[in-house]
Amino acid sequence: MSLGTQHDGHGGGVQEDVGTVAAVADRVRDAIETVIEGKPDVLRIALTVLLAEGHLLIEDVPGVGKTMLAKALGRAVDCSVQRVQFTPDLLPSDITGVSVYHQDRNEFEFNPGPVFANIVLGDEINRASPKTQSALLECMAERQVSVDGETRALERPFMVVATQNPSDMEGTYALPEAQRDRFMARVSVGYPSPQAELDMIDSHGSRSPLESLAPVTNAGEIRDLVERVQHVHVAPGLRRYIVDLVNATRTAPELKLGASPRATLHLVRAARAHAALEGRHYVVPDDVQALAVPVLAHRLLPGPEAQMERLSAEQIVAQLVARLPVPGPR
Amino acid sequence: MPLATLVTMLASLPLLSGLVRGDQWWLPAVVLMTVVALVSAAYRSLVNGSLAVPFLQLFAVVLVYAPLFAPQTAALGFLPTLETLDHTAALFEQGMHTIDSDTPPVSPTPGLNAIIALTFMVFAMTADFLAVTARCPGMVGGLLLALLVVPLFVDDAGVSWGPAAISALGFLALLAVDMWARGREWGAPVASGPRLDARYDGVAGRVGLAAAVAVLAITLALLLPQVVPSLRTDALYSLAADSRFGGNDSVTTTHPMVSLRRDLGATSERTVLTYRTDDEDPEYLRTFVLDEFDGENWTMTPVHAGRDNGADGDLPPPPGRDDEPAEDDLVTTRISLDSDTAPMDFLPLPYPARSVEISGDWYVDESTLMVFTTEPPPSGYNFVVTSAANRPASQDLASAGPPRSLDDDRLDLPGDLDARVGELTASLIEDADSEYEAALALQEFFIGGAFTYDLSPPQVPEGSDPLTHFLFEDRIGYCEQYAGAMAVMARQAGIPARVAVGYTAGRPSGEDRWTVAARDAHAWPELYFEGSGWVRFEPTPSDPAGGQGTASRPDYSAGEDDRQDDVVPESESAEAPEPSASPDADSSPAPDTGASPDQGSDEAAGATEDTGAGAGARESPTWPAGVGIGLVLLLSAALPALIRALLRGVRRSAVAAGGPTAAHAAWRELRDTCLDLGTTWDLGETPRTAAGRLSSMGATGLSEEARNALWRLALAEEAARYAPEPRTVPGLAGDLDTARAALIGAATAGWRWRALLLPPSLAPWRRPRVAAKPLLTLP
Repeated sequence: MSLGTQHDGHGGGVQEDVGTVAAVADRVRDAIETVIEGKPDVLRIALTVLLAEGHLLIEDVPGVGKTMLAKALGRAVDCSVQRVQFTPDLLPSDITGVSVYHQDRNEFEFNPGPVFANIVLGDEINRASPKTQSALLECMAERQVSVDGETRALERPFMVVATQNPSDMEGTYALPEAQRDRFMARVSVGYPSPQAELDMIDSHGSRSPLESLAPVTNAGEIRDLVERVQHVHVAPGLRRYIVDLVNATRTAPELKLGASPRATLHLVRAARAHAALEGRHYVVPDDVQALAVPVLAHRLLPGPEAQMERLSAEQIVAQLVARLPVPGPR
Repeated sequence: MPLATLVTMLASLPLLSGLVRGDQWWLPAVVLMTVVALVSAAYRSLVNGSLAVPFLQLFAVVLVYAPLFAPQTAALGFLPTLETLDHTAALFEQGMHTIDSDTPPVSPTPGLNAIIALTFMVFAMTADFLAVTARCPGMVGGLLLALLVVPLFVDDAGVSWGPAAISALGFLALLAVDMWARGREWGAPVASGPRLDARYDGVAGRVGLAAAVAVLAITLALLLPQVVPSLRTDALYSLAADSRFGGNDSVTTTHPMVSLRRDLGATSERTVLTYRTDDEDPEYLRTFVLDEFDGENWTMTPVHAGRDNGADGDLPPPPGRDDEPAEDDLVTTRISLDSDTAPMDFLPLPYPARSVEISGDWYVDESTLMVFTTEPPPSGYNFVVTSAANRPASQDLASAGPPRSLDDDRLDLPGDLDARVGELTASLIEDADSEYEAALALQEFFIGGAFTYDLSPPQVPEGSDPLTHFLFEDRIGYCEQYAGAMAVMARQAGIPARVAVGYTAGRPSGEDRWTVAARDAHAWPELYFEGSGWVRFEPTPSDPAGGQGTASRPDYSAGEDDRQDDVVPESESAEAPEPSASPDADSSPAPDTGASPDQGSDEAAGATEDTGAGAGARESPTWPAGVGIGLVLLLSAALPALIRALLRGVRRSAVAAGGPTAAHAAWRELRDTCLDLGTTWDLGETPRTAAGRLSSMGATGLSEEARNALWRLALAEEAARYAPEPRTVPGLAGDLDTARAALIGAATAGWRWRALLLPPSLAPWRRPRVAAKPLLTLP
């Protein structure tokens, strides 16, 4: 599906705004593609989440480039990037930072943790204890850190890119549903195609291409883009469509747990960003459909029947999308 | 609703305006209908329910009834009594009598008014039930149809535009009020934003549907009558009819006197039939014979149709004639009934007819030689009849003995006949030496000047006998009274008599040609003389100013003295032979027919030709039927295509008009094209998805050009649907055409034809829907 075609209408200021968004996003995309090849869909979702001010959960088997994707994203945008390798013994203060007492000055000094960055890469988040996980997730939701009774706002843009191995792997603590809900989207990188893997041998053989990746934009520009994305138009019919879709996950007999109202908000925001990425100043159902699985599936719990049928949450969401009539002419 | 129903029923009243004279007859009907509607409206507004409505309506009608129709019998001015009941019975009898005996427009007697009013009252109650209680106002149309049928059946003139339009408007108003009431039950209409295109589409669809229904209905109404008769002449049908009815069909027809009055009442020059004959003084054309007198009216003994009395070949011999008519004594008459004339199921024939050549199944009544059919006769046909001359010599009549070969009932008279009639007859015939002279005397009595010929005689007062009233009171009447009275008196004089109804010979309209108009309709007595059979007399004056202008008196019935006076004035047609004027033609018709044998053979050839034409005419109902069926089939076959083309045209113009609706119209058209071509259309698909899917249609996918056109259409539709301010996209019409052509090109030939002839997009059940994909079965 080629979604790259731009609509040739012109929407005045909004249209120019989203034109800028698309241009910047294209630059970022091109830059990252020098590192991660053959994964345009994953890249698009990542950018969408960035522009929608969400957090991204990348879930896949080890070694497919989860960390590489997150790093490349941080590199391409000239902003602060922090990486936290989650281990079972990681403490919450290792993420948020600690106040250290300075004897000479007789006061506490706050040493900010890795969460104080524009892009935080939480590697193998499911290896940490639930206590530590929840510390990060709190920051994600509130975009602030409270240490010793003092609240410190986090920088914007703030995006957590967490990676996790499938929970059936050894030594992992699967994220509880409540916490998965805070991620705007979940993507799987998946194995590269044979051709992409061949190219990878060439490009990664001598040295990591990540090092040659030059930033193509900065945090300030991204803030600006995020602001513009807010103005993308969502037709009333489409709002209804989104609500219907989320509602369908709650009523579908195959699902034990449906999507939350937060999921609705996430879907709307993501759809706006997705439209802006394509240079459109209004959302179309295709945006919603393209985002439905990444945004909704990780929040859902398939019921026993679906499990018996070996239906994944992704498959169920895809079917719900296929069955829901798109909003027709006004 | 009850009041809307009342309006509808009131609007149907004018339907009867052509049938009843005056403007007072509708008043009671209006009163009763208003009462019915008011009761319904009041009850329904007070009580939530409708069970008691009919009873209350009846009760109210009973209260209103007595002061309206029988005020003198009512107690306290409005309570009906037993006397009221008797009065009602009398009223009904009077009304029925008016309907039976009078021709439309009838005079509004109180009885008729009561019948009309009560009928309308029942209709109004039924309409109230249908429209308000049952909430099926469409069914009221059935009642209106029933009302409409009455004037159509009774009156040849049918219904004029005005009343038909008024009643149709009344019906439409009822439907509109119902729709409005239904809409109101759903609350205030929701302003649903600028859904212009949907409305546009809906209107086009509805107009198209209405047009289709109308075209189909009109076509069927025009063509079905052409088809049905040809079905009935089917061999299978006659077989079934024979076995079922034992080959013995009873025949009913309109009362001859009623049609006679109708014809005479319409004093028009409308041609009923034309005929060719070599007889210079043609006989009357007799249609019916009325041989029973019930004291008031002459009626016809029912005739029967069976296998043994078919009218093919020679007809039975005329009863009572001694001589077998000589071969050269026969007169051939070729009759063409005008196609505008109401179809005749009894043939107008000169008496005595010897053979009839006509297509179809016709039967003959042995004693009267009436020829008739049991099938609905075609209007306008040709036939050839051979008849014997019926001009007995005076002396043969005078010497005729008492009737032998005849049933006695031709002398029957009701016992309660006014004695004065018998006395009058006796006084008239006391000088007569023979029955023939008696007959002449009776005829003379009528044409002697004591009677006044008038086509619309004054009303016979209620309770008095029309016969005695005519003979003794006003002495005003027309052929019906003259013929009836003379036949009664002839029977009293011992001469078997009956009344014949038909047409006079008409007026000559060229060589051998005669034209019979509606006002030549006539009735005359036929008297029986042993040896000569039934011979006609003419008691009706033949003076064009004060009589039946084309009546003629045969020699034997013209007395010695008035032979010269008996010339029928035919001033307007000088070149043609007069019916009974030329004295030389009077002497004997036999030499005349034999005088020009070559002409006769010419005629015979002509006759064969005419028979051929008759055969053609016989087939003619079948070819329009065939063509009709073909047309109906063609039209019904083309109808979906026409509607689809109409819809496409509307959408194309919407696309060309631009604006935000253009993209919707184009997209809908694309959707319907896909449905027509058997391609699915999933409501869960976005325009882009649909365009992407369609691009891969056909064996190798669509051309680049078509893909781009599809893509542009999809994006335009998408923008029109979801963008904050959609705007006109140029070139959509061209894109639509390109995409359509490509899609049609990619389809198989079968689907292409189907899309043209039976576009599935018109079928509501083929409308796009979300593909019902079960959740639990996945690839």
